[in-house]
Amino acid sequence: MDIDKLKSDASGQIGAAKDLDELNQAAVKWLGRKGALSEFMRRIPELEPDLRREAGQKLNALKKELEALLEEARERISGSAQARDEGLDISLPGRPVAAGSIHPINQVMEEICDIFVQMGFDVVEGPEVELDWYNFEALNFPPDHPARDMQDTFFISGDVVLRTHTSSLQIRTMENTPPPVKVIAPGKVYRCDSDVTHTPMFHQVEGLLVGDGISFADLKGALTLFVQKMYGPNTPIRLRPSFFPFTEPSAEVDIGCVICRGSGCRVCSGTGWLEVLGSGMVHPNVFKNVGYDSSLITGFAFGLGVERIAMLKYGVDDLRRFFENDLRFLSQF
Amino acid sequence: MIVSINWLRQFVEINLAPRELAHRLTMAGLEVEGVSDRYAWLDSVKAARVLSVAPHPAGENLTICTLDMGSGQPCTVVCGAPNVRQGMLSALALPGTVLPGGRTVAQSAIRGVESFGMLCSAAELGTGPDKSGIVELEKGAPGEKIAHLLNLADTVFEIGVTPNRPDCLSFLGVAREAAAVCGTRLVRPQIILPKGEGTIEEITSVAIEAPEHCPRYVARVIRNITVGPSPFWLQDHLLSVGLRPINNIVDVTNFVMMETGQPLHAFDFDLLEEGRIVVRTAQEGEKFTTLDGKEKILSSSNLMICDGKKPVALAGVMGGENSEINPNTKTVLIESACFSPMSIRKTAKSLGYHTDASHRFERGVDPTGCSAAAARAAQLMLEVAGGVLVEGEIDANPVPWEPKEVCLSVKRANAVLGTDLSCGQMQGLLASVELETKTLDSDTLSVTPPGFRVDISIPEDLVEEIARLFGYDNIPVTAPKLPMEVPPPRPAMSFRKKLRNIMVNLGFFEAVNYSFVAADTPARLGLSEDDPRQATLAVANPLSEDQAVMRTSLLPGLLAATGRNVNLQNRSVRLFELGKVFFARANEPLPSEQFMLAAILSGERNPLSWHEKAAPCDFYDIKGAAQALFEALKIKAVDFVRPAPGQADTLLPGHCAAMICQNKLLGILGQIRPEVCTNFDLKQRAFLLEMDVEALRAVTPDTVAFSPPPRYPFVLRDITLVLDKAVPSAEILEKVRQMKHPWVESVWVFDVYEGKPIEKGKKSLSFRITYRADDKTLTDGEVNTLHDNIGKTLLNAFDATLP
Repeated sequence: MDIDKLKSDASGQIGAAKDLDELNQAAVKWLGRKGALSEFMRRIPELEPDLRREAGQKLNALKKELEALLEEARERISGSAQARDEGLDISLPGRPVAAGSIHPINQVMEEICDIFVQMGFDVVEGPEVELDWYNFEALNFPPDHPARDMQDTFFISGDVVLRTHTSSLQIRTMENTPPPVKVIAPGKVYRCDSDVTHTPMFHQVEGLLVGDGISFADLKGALTLFVQKMYGPNTPIRLRPSFFPFTEPSAEVDIGCVICRGSGCRVCSGTGWLEVLGSGMVHPNVFKNVGYDSSLITGFAFGLGVERIAMLKYGVDDLRRFFENDLRFLSQF
Repeated sequence: MIVSINWLRQFVEINLAPRELAHRLTMAGLEVEGVSDRYAWLDSVKAARVLSVAPHPAGENLTICTLDMGSGQPCTVVCGAPNVRQGMLSALALPGTVLPGGRTVAQSAIRGVESFGMLCSAAELGTGPDKSGIVELEKGAPGEKIAHLLNLADTVFEIGVTPNRPDCLSFLGVAREAAAVCGTRLVRPQIILPKGEGTIEEITSVAIEAPEHCPRYVARVIRNITVGPSPFWLQDHLLSVGLRPINNIVDVTNFVMMETGQPLHAFDFDLLEEGRIVVRTAQEGEKFTTLDGKEKILSSSNLMICDGKKPVALAGVMGGENSEINPNTKTVLIESACFSPMSIRKTAKSLGYHTDASHRFERGVDPTGCSAAAARAAQLMLEVAGGVLVEGEIDANPVPWEPKEVCLSVKRANAVLGTDLSCGQMQGLLASVELETKTLDSDTLSVTPPGFRVDISIPEDLVEEIARLFGYDNIPVTAPKLPMEVPPPRPAMSFRKKLRNIMVNLGFFEAVNYSFVAADTPARLGLSEDDPRQATLAVANPLSEDQAVMRTSLLPGLLAATGRNVNLQNRSVRLFELGKVFFARANEPLPSEQFMLAAILSGERNPLSWHEKAAPCDFYDIKGAAQALFEALKIKAVDFVRPAPGQADTLLPGHCAAMICQNKLLGILGQIRPEVCTNFDLKQRAFLLEMDVEALRAVTPDTVAFSPPPRYPFVLRDITLVLDKAVPSAEILEKVRQMKHPWVESVWVFDVYEGKPIEKGKKSLSFRITYRADDKTLTDGEVNTLHDNIGKTLLNAFDATLP
């Protein structure tokens, strides 16, 4: 009566069973009423009396062990069967959950504002229908001055206009706040112009920083920081002299073309540079108009067109697409 | 401003390649927006040797020439020139060449003989005046470029001159800047006039009656001129900057304007009545015809140049038809004046002119340059039109120019720029553009700007000069030194950002529409005459009828966008917009501006898929969106009620609701009336949600107070009532809530049924009530008793039965 052999044979066959049929055969053969284990049990009385007790214990233990093995094998086999027989077609699409999106212009505007907010700028807003004073005169655009031609203006009446820039917030902010001032003003602006590169409404972010000892070098610093946050740490920036009535010195700001990285392409007209911003040191007349003493403080201002940046960022070819609200366009952002 | 480099070289030595010059000028503030080859059209004009000449069968002096054009393959052209002969080297314009006259050379058959291009005269090529015959080249080989053989090379810059720099609307001004970037010197043209005959005072006079509009008027007279075409060099100069040659007298005025920036006008002196000039403002309603043939009605703000009797020119803008130079002109009066920029701008704008002269006067011309420009014009007219100069000039100068000193603190300039320039460096930079400085003390520079720099009047103007000439690139990059501060919270902005995000999470795409709409929009929305949204604000100069007034609702933009999308086969539309609407206010110059949130749903709720059938969206979809929005904002207890009259004129009665919270109207929602959809070219049902953002913010809690989740389990019980169809389900829920039993945690509708076997006019509503106590586990018995009571109360209250 070789119990060890019985154990190894039985556990071997149970472990090797590939399906339920084979497993059931093994169960009958080893653990059934007429199986090998029962046969051994029946033969215990044939043993010497002092060996019977030990053999009984051993066989009972073996029985439990084999039953456990059997159960384990059954789970193994039925598990894989279920996987095959009752599995899902996971390639079918899931139940749709609606997901919309923020308009690309507002996404970009948010991104721009976030960068300046991280730099400590406050965000201000103001009316889109604006008095001539805030939009022009206080910003050092005298009446009947050719500088006004730089901005084709929509008029409501003689001295009420649709703001042509959010620079009007410079005046509204400084009027109510003593220096230092550190604000950005995002929003819609309007100009009387419509073609592939102009829409009568577009978006701007204006910035203003005024305080003691603020310099043109600081303007370069702030804009460099912004450009590198927005376009990557290696984006070059260059300032070119220009003219805006409310700043002096004034500068147009170019960044290294984000498309060709400076080698020249269609987007940058082969120059390697893209004009993205207007900026400059706040003109003393502007300070005078808000009651600041320009001998005590200096400041810089800048303004950027959101559409321009969004077009570059996403490669949008036609400005007008932003305002058509075609879902095939909007759902791409 | 178009600038030919060859012309520019007459005033300044240029030691830079054109591209580099363009870059340096740009970086000094004269933005070169375009660089082009003056003779680009000559690229396809090559030297060609005439190998043989045979008469054309059609005669008419035409010949058939065989040419060697250097390609090894002889070609044939038809030529009509009298000077064509075997062996000569001439200029062949290849097919595709666009000649200066605008003619394109084509490969075509001329009277039955194929001609490969065209042999050209110098006049045809724009390289010289000769039009008598084809070009005969003295040197060169077939195939060589003609521009190279004739030594023709020029680069043309297109410069965007900013409004503050009228001095650079002239070659001398640009040359001054070029000298600064090249490190060379500006050389002015020499003006030498012959001794004239008689004296000008004997024959004419200038009276300025409006000195505030005309501080200075210089006049010169030349007799016995011969009007005719200008010589080639003069025409060529004008053509190089895009000006059309007219006749020798007019061409000189334009040439001198380009050279000096001083606009000039030439009158036929014999057409000036009483032979004198009077500068005055027009009489109201006076009529005047400018030399472009347009008749204008004048106002008293228009400055006129008149003779003894009548206006002869619209000052600083355009001359008059009645005194213009004509082929019979014998005596010419040259006007070289200085006008008030504002006066010229007003006149030009109000009468609809923009001329080279008005462009310059509006920006300001050099008040010290009138006399020199008049003399320069006289010199050139004598050269190209002959005649005899009348000695002297009239210089009427009622308001003499006074130079104004501007002082600059070196320290201050460095502080503003963030630089560390010495006084001497600053002086050097200023001197490079002819701004001479004096040192008043160790920190103070004094500059008296010359007349041509009308833009310099305050120290900042000098700081700008120093900065641009030093080079913006050379200014250091530093960080602003300001106290650290955290910006204050901006709750209104944060709230709008949150609203946007919620709408996106609810599956809506954000739209951005123009703020202006057509004037009839309120009517198309079906709004009544007294609706506040009729108070639109009109744009005085709209680009189109569709953009005539500021919007008073976000709906028109969304409806039109939805219609467009449906037409583009985007049939299921979920759009929202968050933006301002504008209401005109009586007695206030500015309108009230209000942020609104609107969303539109149209088409299918979900597309056909294997999970479920496609289904059109309905009222409950837009209401569900509203409820989800409230839930996300933690706004509780919003009532959806039938809108009051006038609140929802755009929406279909019976299919719309007003949303009320804390007795405030938050907005409306529901199905848009089909005729309104039609008015916006939308051909399918659409559902609207429109809310006042600030009203919504007012009822949005700032914070959330935590309450611990219940500790004991709930018990559910259902009840179904059959009752009158008209009873709103919300009333039954409200009734249950009113009982205020502490164990009733919530109650909601989970089934609505009409039809068999329910009696007509009735409906069956099924409710589920959640019972829970906060201090123990409820027993079945306790719940059953309470549920029975509630059931009885509802049956009584609503005259309902059990099914």
